[in-house]
Amino acid sequence: MAENRIFDLAVSPHVGSPQKTKRVMWDVVIALIPALIAAFWFFGPKALMLVGASVGAAVLTEWLCLKFMKRPVNFAFDGSAVVTGLLLAYNVPSGVPWWLPVLGSAFAIAVAKQAFGGLGHNIVNPALLGRAFLVASFPVLMTAGWVAPMEWRDGQHIEVQACGVPTGNLSEIGELDALSGATPLNVLKQTFGWEGEPERAEEVRESLFSKESMKNLFMGRIGGCIGETSVIMLLLGALYLVLRGVLELRLPLSYLGSVALFGWLFGGPGWLDGNPLFHLFAGGVILGGFFMITDMVTTPVTKKGRIIFGIGAGLLTMVIRRWGGYPEGCSYSILLMNLCTPLIDRYTKPVSFGEVKKNG
Amino acid sequence: MSLRQEFSKGMMKENPVFKQALGMCPFLAVTSSVENALGMGAAATFVLVSSNFLVSLFRKVIPAKVRIPSYIVIIATFVTLVDLLMNAYLPALHQSLGIFIPLIVVNCIILGRAEGFANKNKVVPSIIDGIGMGLGFTLAMVVMATFREILGNGSWLGFNLLGTAYQNQPLLIAILAPGAFILMAFILGFFNIMEKRKRGGAK
Repeated sequence: MAENRIFDLAVSPHVGSPQKTKRVMWDVVIALIPALIAAFWFFGPKALMLVGASVGAAVLTEWLCLKFMKRPVNFAFDGSAVVTGLLLAYNVPSGVPWWLPVLGSAFAIAVAKQAFGGLGHNIVNPALLGRAFLVASFPVLMTAGWVAPMEWRDGQHIEVQACGVPTGNLSEIGELDALSGATPLNVLKQTFGWEGEPERAEEVRESLFSKESMKNLFMGRIGGCIGETSVIMLLLGALYLVLRGVLELRLPLSYLGSVALFGWLFGGPGWLDGNPLFHLFAGGVILGGFFMITDMVTTPVTKKGRIIFGIGAGLLTMVIRRWGGYPEGCSYSILLMNLCTPLIDRYTKPVSFGEVKKNG
Repeated sequence: MSLRQEFSKGMMKENPVFKQALGMCPFLAVTSSVENALGMGAAATFVLVSSNFLVSLFRKVIPAKVRIPSYIVIIATFVTLVDLLMNAYLPALHQSLGIFIPLIVVNCIILGRAEGFANKNKVVPSIIDGIGMGLGFTLAMVVMATFREILGNGSWLGFNLLGTAYQNQPLLIAILAPGAFILMAFILGFFNIMEKRKRGGAK
């Protein structure tokens, strides 16, 4: 590991820790595998292809950047680029062409990470900035490339369920390559616009919040980005991280808690009538809340700061969902809070042992 | 410094954008197409040369205490000229440059040259300096606009370069505001590297 040292060691005493960058990163990769299986199940082999292309592009870009900057190239294999590539691919719809995640990964690594000095120096989450870059560049592909999940048995019985609402048996049409469909959050956002027909909006919302729909949301049988749909598989991965001691729960819990709270407060058509469970399960909140908001580099280091970060991100997510231009605000809320991290750290710095509080 | 040097320093050695990092506002805002960049460059160059000329001419008359307001009045005069002329003869360009034409008044390159050069030099070198700096500014904007228009629209000066297939799905971010900041960072970074290499070589 000698060639990996880019900083000087301080004088003893030191606190030893078995946590190494490599171990943490590969643990995160393992934790993301269940969601990949769900993506394969619901969106077919194309999802795997997109994820593979994204990860390959991320590692290759990292390697090229390190080579260009004359740094040790084995940094490229510490797993952090793999995590970025995976998360970026999980954040694109499965109906996009292969070059889209490749471009996004290359941007995420080259601009959001290496241009700032590599791992540990990036100011925002690279995968999320890569996604923001793709949304700004290819708004049509990134917001209309939704593919409704398909489950096929024996190649004949095709049951399609878009936006969590069963649409019946389509086997009469024959073999389908893909079926486009809206995401649950998209549908919810649209119902807010139907001011002239409150009955219709109420009816659609009721079907969105129905038991059947909730079950689909929990399993991941909905339209959405590749890796964000299956709540149960993501929770499985998160559980693994908690057991391995990699995940510190302050950020995820404060984030999910505030999404639920603000979702109930103003996530519905009026006040205090939102469905907190729906807002937790739909969109990218679970993926973001366990795998992206917990990025150690771009979040506060203080305990109080982490809770403030989580609450702020939850509030922003719900504000964007309810009143913003996009149906989902998870990625932008985390990016915005990433930028506040130095400020939060500054104002939540704990008093050192033995130091007397000023004006105390 | 010879007159030729006064002219050429603005292009590279003391390029207002690349080396002095001045005039960033129009550099970021109107470089979404090469046509806009050329129009803005021409307007700014005209104002720069004229204001350098007048400031240099009156440099011994203007009291030091009120020199900045005096420069602003002189610059504003020429900007108004450009604004009205462009509105009359190039309405389309005027429309797309919009607010950035009147904003030439507060362009730091023009004020900077008035304060830093024309105020201390004779009339002819001041005019030459204005032309050099103006062309340097235009060059910088055209370089930036070239990247942005080709990436973001697949064309250069309106000519379709990359084909309609690309134009249907261009890298839209390049002509949006974030793309301007990202590209500016890369361009300035490139010039910093060149500067470092040159200095390293001179040692």
